[in-house]
Amino acid sequence: MMDTPFNAVVPMLCVVFAALAVMMAEAFRGRDEQMALGGLGIVGLVGAAVSSMLLWNRNASSFGVIVADNFGLFVTMTLVIVGVLTIMFSSVVVRRDGLPAGEYYALVLFAVVGMIMMATANDLLVIFIALEILSLAVYVLTGIRRDDPRATEAAFKYFLLGAFSSAFFLYGIAFTYGVSGSTRLDRIGAFLAAQSMSDSPLILVAIGMLLVGFAFKISAVPFHMWTPDAYEGAPAVVTGFMSTGVKAAAFAAFTRVFLSAFEPFSVDWAPMIWILAVATMILGTVVGVAQTNVKRMLAYSSIAHGGYLLVGLIAANDVGKAAILFYLLAYAVTNVAAFGVIALLGTRDAANDELRDFSGLWHGRPALAALMTVCLLSLGGLPPTAGFIGKWYIFSAAVSAGYYGLAIIGVLTSVVSVFFYLRVVVMMYMEERDPGLAAPAHVGGVGMVALVASIVVIFYLGVLPTRVLDLAAESISTIF
Amino acid sequence: MLLTLSWLVPLVGALLLLLVGNADGRRDGMIRWLALGVSLIAFAVTLGVWAAFDPASAEFQFVERHSWIPQFGIDYFVGIDGISLLLVVLTGFLTPIALLSSWGSIERKVKEFSIFILALEAAMVGVFISLDLFLFYVFWDAMLIPMYFLIGIWGYDRRVYAAIKFMLYTMAGSVLMLVAILGMAYLHSAATGSYTFDLLKLYSLDIAPQTQMWFFLAFTLAFAIKVPLFPFHTWLPDAHVQAPTAGSVILAGVLLKMGTYGLLRFSFPLFPEAAAYFAPWLALLAVIGIIYGALVAMVQPDMKKLVAYSSVSHLGFVVLGICAMNTQGMQGAVYQMLAHGVSTGGLFLMVGMLSDRRHTRLIAEFGGLKTVMPQFTAAFLIMTLASIGLPGLNGFVGEFLIMLGAFRWAPAFAVAAGLGVILSAVYMLWMFQRVFYGPVTHEANETLTDLQPREWAGVLPLCAMALVMGVFPTIFLKPMEASVDALVLRMQATQTVQVEIPVDRRPDDERRLTTVTERVARR
Amino acid sequence: MIPLSHYLIVSAILFGIGTTGVLVRRNLITILLSIEIMLNAVNLTFIAFGRQLGSVDGQIIVFFVMTVAAAEAAVGLAIVIGLFRHRESLNPDAFASLKW
Repeated sequence: MMDTPFNAVVPMLCVVFAALAVMMAEAFRGRDEQMALGGLGIVGLVGAAVSSMLLWNRNASSFGVIVADNFGLFVTMTLVIVGVLTIMFSSVVVRRDGLPAGEYYALVLFAVVGMIMMATANDLLVIFIALEILSLAVYVLTGIRRDDPRATEAAFKYFLLGAFSSAFFLYGIAFTYGVSGSTRLDRIGAFLAAQSMSDSPLILVAIGMLLVGFAFKISAVPFHMWTPDAYEGAPAVVTGFMSTGVKAAAFAAFTRVFLSAFEPFSVDWAPMIWILAVATMILGTVVGVAQTNVKRMLAYSSIAHGGYLLVGLIAANDVGKAAILFYLLAYAVTNVAAFGVIALLGTRDAANDELRDFSGLWHGRPALAALMTVCLLSLGGLPPTAGFIGKWYIFSAAVSAGYYGLAIIGVLTSVVSVFFYLRVVVMMYMEERDPGLAAPAHVGGVGMVALVASIVVIFYLGVLPTRVLDLAAESISTIF
Repeated sequence: MLLTLSWLVPLVGALLLLLVGNADGRRDGMIRWLALGVSLIAFAVTLGVWAAFDPASAEFQFVERHSWIPQFGIDYFVGIDGISLLLVVLTGFLTPIALLSSWGSIERKVKEFSIFILALEAAMVGVFISLDLFLFYVFWDAMLIPMYFLIGIWGYDRRVYAAIKFMLYTMAGSVLMLVAILGMAYLHSAATGSYTFDLLKLYSLDIAPQTQMWFFLAFTLAFAIKVPLFPFHTWLPDAHVQAPTAGSVILAGVLLKMGTYGLLRFSFPLFPEAAAYFAPWLALLAVIGIIYGALVAMVQPDMKKLVAYSSVSHLGFVVLGICAMNTQGMQGAVYQMLAHGVSTGGLFLMVGMLSDRRHTRLIAEFGGLKTVMPQFTAAFLIMTLASIGLPGLNGFVGEFLIMLGAFRWAPAFAVAAGLGVILSAVYMLWMFQRVFYGPVTHEANETLTDLQPREWAGVLPLCAMALVMGVFPTIFLKPMEASVDALVLRMQATQTVQVEIPVDRRPDDERRLTTVTERVARR
Repeated sequence: MIPLSHYLIVSAILFGIGTTGVLVRRNLITILLSIEIMLNAVNLTFIAFGRQLGSVDGQIIVFFVMTVAAAEAAVGLAIVIGLFRHRESLNPDAFASLKW
């Protein structure tokens, strides 16, 4: 491959072209013509995956603001997996619910573009633009079912708090720019390192504002209020997409900004994130226990998972950085699959996402129940699943950095979280089917393929994680 | 390779069963036989391990080591010594019996039931053979999942509550152990520059006493919940009472031993100084458990609950023996684990049979069964006496050795534990009397069938084992001798440094060991 | 020459006004406008810093932000229209089918 300044944006361009192609195809489509628009998107995503592999270890950089270092590429791969799985689940849902296919897939792909951009950005302004690209697409996706008042309401709440937090984020960028004279992360890092500890209040304000912005995006407590509503109201497959993709992208940027540019000020921000992490882990699990809607419950679970990721960020050692990457991958695959099951169980008129809708699922759809169980056990961090290795990795980072307290809070909250994951399992396996309910929907084809593929990945990461752990370790060696 | 087979056989068997199509239970019969066949092969493998085991060596044998997650020094590292050998064999022995017991009582979802039992066996064997802390933890946690489903799906009325309680209690303890495991790996990396979860390397890790205390508490809490040691025992009656018979047999027979095994293998030798410090407190809890369990058992109206509380009492003995940290105590502890597995497993099995026939387990519902089911009564009597610890049966040897060890260490504990022995005779015999003697008070009891050949197939091996273990204890004491000896030596070496006990205690110890074994053997 | 701090204080006040507006106003359109005020407060900050640092970067960034803000407003207003169709109201308190 030639070294041109455009190398680093190639993965992103693949997805952009796919998205544009989808839009064009939709525009020229005949009235009732069926088109494999999702397939077009998958082609683009595979292109992004292939180009990411080719860029591996090359440290390509485009104009200094987009860097395709291994860290970014690892997250890119995670995002591609999320995107492919989402499109596969969506293909069932789009047809069933009569969603506008062209717009839907184009928005998913543009959101993926924004996520990849955010993961590979090396400039605060680019991170902001990427954040907006992905957010705008996801706002619309949340409300894509215009006939559903709950979805529209969820979209608005998400939009409102998203825009609100973007303003904080931007204000933080402004102060950083004012203090250091640049928005490039490497220059900011160099500037701060050179004059570290000259306690400029402006830089602290900047750090605080950026922290608030990121905390909103990763739904850390107390900036999580939008999460349960948006996750519950959105179509399940979109919830799966945003609870993993957005979180992965935001965490990649969060890690990059705080562990490279603001590393010299870690004494100042580490305690803040410590509090965020503890509050997030505890509130996410404790409130999750009280939920009766599975989507809302998984929303709180995803809040709690954000807390575990923050633990890796606080540890801030090599183990912690690699652990964040591994955890993101494990969590992303598991959560997309779990929401995939919920999406596949729904019908056009009923979301079927209440706890009792799962009752006796085992008798009607044993395979689906088993797959859901694996996902839930992985989310709960039980061996031999991906979630277990992820948790173990995160907590070993905390312990090796001396944060025993965080590790203990983390493992105890994960026990509490097992309680509410088990409630779904209890419903599926140990209760008879509620006689008032219709038989669960029949699931087949692409959706099932995607589910089985996710389960294979979950077990692969849980039993033979060596290869991926290596990749994660390689990923963090190129930066920081 | 043999050792890997011992957990791989049941696991592969479970996966194969998964592939058998069984719509509407058409192939239930075939699946039952397949599962039984797999478990018998697994048992044969464990017997093969025993046959090839060298009892003279205290080293770990059949050691296999493959790199698994090299980034953190995690290996697939298995091996057994005399202590784990017998527990592995016990697991292999009880699983076919548990499966057999389900033939009469499990009617629906037979395939899934068999899969879960086999998966459970794989995980249990894995726990006993792991020499890598990470591997151990994986098996330890993985074991929860099949047990959770066994209780929750095939259990009795309050099965869901019991299943969740079982799962959460055990997990709450084990996650703290996870933090301690990570802490040890980190300390090793700080000391030597590389992570390791290798038990043998961690044995020689020098940990500051203050840190030892915390780690010891974290490990011991996990094991104490599993044992269960008073006051962490509240999950046990629920789980036992609600579990299906096969679940109870395995729970009592093997699962509880994981706790005491963990104390022997991990808590005590990894943190000898902390162990020496906390041993009296643990022993105190154990003795409270012995007496409390016995007293509560006495007033139970439900047979299954009575046996469950008797487990709390018996396992208290095991912990007491471990805390004594001398040869007799430890040997007795291991022996008592095996004996309890056989006799309590047998009791649960037979209570399950009664409950299948009458759909009740209340003592008051029975009476005079001796005339209706003479064979059953005879078998039940053997198990009852074994559980009480009558000389000539398996329970006696373990309890005797434990009392001896405890007496040498702290006579007060031994005396209190002796009270527990007496109480156990009271509650067991009283139950036996109410259930089997007297006139037949309920009409439904007059037509109960006696033991069927299939049921004999489960009961007979247990009765035979109870007798063999009571009459020829050396068969079982011999293989564990060297390992227990080495363990005691290790513990006392530290204690000598700590408490400055004269070093010349060691030969004395060895002499007493041989005399005790001979004495027991002669009996 | 007006010192930098004056600009910063003005923009901070504007940002505060915007934040307060989002939190206390009970009309969706006003809330959207408040967010615009916040973004413009940030724009002012950028320009002030850019001038202080003697580079045009600050002003260029403002163009980006304005574009983003426009896109955001478009999407936001579309969602508000969607909401209004369902509820015939612009008061956020009316939207409580999801627990807020």
